[in-house]
Amino acid sequence: MSEATGESRSEPAHVGDDEELTATRGTADVNEIPLRVRNLRKTFGGITAVDNAGFEVERGTMTGLIGPNGAGKSTTFNCITGVHTPDSGVVEFNGTDITGLEPYEVANRGLVRTFQIARELSEMTVLENMLVAPKNQRGEKLWRSVLAREDVNQQEYELVERAWETLDFFDIDHLAEEYAGNLSGGQRKLLELARALLTDPDMLLLDEPFAGVNPTLEERLLEHIHDLRDQGYTFLIVEHDMDLIMQNCSKVIVMHQGNILTEGTPDQVRNNEQVIEAYLGGEV
Amino acid sequence: MSESQSDGAGLTERLDRLRVEPGNLGVSILDLVAVGVFFLFFLMLVAVGVLSLNYGMYLLGLAGMYGFMIVGLNIQWGYAGLINFSVIAFWGIGAYAAALLTSPGSPHDLLLSPVIALVVAIVAAAIVAVLIGIPTLRLRADYLAIASLGFAEVIRLLFLNEREWTAGSRGISGAPELFEWLPVEPAVRLLSTTASVGTARNTVVILGLLFIGYVLVRRIHRSPWGRVIRTIRADEDLAKALGKNTYMMKMQAFVIGCVLMAVAGWFYMYAFEYLDPGELEPLQTFYVWVALILGGTGSDRGSIVGAVTIVAILEGTRFLNEIDLVVALFEAIPGIALNVSAVRLLLVGLLIILVIRFRPQGILPPKEELIWPGAAPDDSRSQERQATREQRGVDE
Repeated sequence: MSEATGESRSEPAHVGDDEELTATRGTADVNEIPLRVRNLRKTFGGITAVDNAGFEVERGTMTGLIGPNGAGKSTTFNCITGVHTPDSGVVEFNGTDITGLEPYEVANRGLVRTFQIARELSEMTVLENMLVAPKNQRGEKLWRSVLAREDVNQQEYELVERAWETLDFFDIDHLAEEYAGNLSGGQRKLLELARALLTDPDMLLLDEPFAGVNPTLEERLLEHIHDLRDQGYTFLIVEHDMDLIMQNCSKVIVMHQGNILTEGTPDQVRNNEQVIEAYLGGEV
Repeated sequence: MSESQSDGAGLTERLDRLRVEPGNLGVSILDLVAVGVFFLFFLMLVAVGVLSLNYGMYLLGLAGMYGFMIVGLNIQWGYAGLINFSVIAFWGIGAYAAALLTSPGSPHDLLLSPVIALVVAIVAAAIVAVLIGIPTLRLRADYLAIASLGFAEVIRLLFLNEREWTAGSRGISGAPELFEWLPVEPAVRLLSTTASVGTARNTVVILGLLFIGYVLVRRIHRSPWGRVIRTIRADEDLAKALGKNTYMMKMQAFVIGCVLMAVAGWFYMYAFEYLDPGELEPLQTFYVWVALILGGTGSDRGSIVGAVTIVAILEGTRFLNEIDLVVALFEAIPGIALNVSAVRLLLVGLLIILVIRFRPQGILPPKEELIWPGAAPDDSRSQERQATREQRGVDE
């Protein structure tokens, strides 16, 4: 684990090397590592938000990305999902380079994010909220929605069915016909996750999914996430709450001042001097 | 859903039955009844002599024309959240396409068929819309607003100054009859012996086209496409995060809206048989905006109501001078001699403030009209679910 970090951090951003690396890494490797970030760098004006960050996320795991405020977690997140284009570095998803793609293209490849503040569409019902999510809907083509209504209807029935099943899984099916604006904060969080799931993702990026969530709901959300991981979904979770990540993730990545400070199992990270210093505000 | 409705009075239930849409056209029985009542009211006004039939038909045609512009703007602003301040420019593209290609007064002497002019108007408006959309639709909404405001003036000045091409401020007069094969004469003669057949035909054409346009727009509004477009308006970042190509879809919404505006302009030339660049004043754009907001932003029915309302306001206030009570009221104001007609715009503004104050979502807000027939859960299944849910409740 730590070897991988050392390698990606010490490597200078060199295009030729990158190409070689991609070529030599077999497909078996790709199957195990859906997301690989190398030498990521992003500056805003004079501020370097992310500096040479690199890490890997293994398939079917929950990986936590933690760090104090201003560590560059959100910027890393945004560079992966296409909101920002990194100044340099490579983001690879399922073996293909997705650096600098538009957010919608990233999402369509199966790397889907959720938002820290749940973004429900308050003017739509919960069911409609869900139905926005599925990819490549036939009715999203204009001409089809006008001329091929039978086609669209048929798929729509299937999607409605899937939406109901997913709502059922999250125990919010009784709210399906409610306007999303009337939901409580916790229900919105559940809806957010349920909707992301309906896009058929390979991997989910959760941006502080437990921020502002009460302990009971936190428990419920975690249960759902664990269930989904068991079904084969991969999670990368950005969180503030150290304890939560330590208890639930199999691997933890710690960022500090734009760098990857360390990564490893929760135990390794917990006992790492640097991490303690970063969190307690010691000199680094 | 059905549960809560049966709790209500029998009246709401009966109203719900009227909300059924025959043939899934997006037009409910209630809508048809409302339109029927409106036409009866119109005929009554004509019969009583408040409106002359000719002027009445002219007003209906005008409402149809505004209808196209408002439905178009509704697609852009109401569905997608795009701020377009160049409504009148796209209208002008349509109007000049009609005038230059088909009018005997055109400097080009082409005298083509109005159908060709319609196709040219649509294609030209679509191309121009794409050209404006490419640089602005990737940016925040306000950039399109600024760009379109400037573009409207560019188009107006272009038509004003390119005299060899557009006849400039001299204007273009005369237009061929629109769709002469339409057999409206017998129907008109039933009502009146003196009414103009041409006006009647124009009115039938624009209202017919508006109906077709309306049905198509209803379809796309409630389709999965419309769902994504509404998501973009509410939260574009979310739409992107769910894998939607928001730029492409905003472009489609923008182009469709602009095309509808051009159709309105195309019709204008045949109804009024005169066009000059003075018609392209920015004020017209804001009338369309006002009508949309009055009718109900994002609402298809509201757009049509807005069209009728704006025509009633703009044309109705012309006759204030003839109502003794209003004149007396104004004469009672000491110190100023006021001509009522001169304060028309002031009254328009006042009316708008009143509507916005007491009904901020507009006369017919959009909720409830958006569920795509396929998306509504069919009854048997939802009852099944209801049952399992209750069962679960009992178990707990």
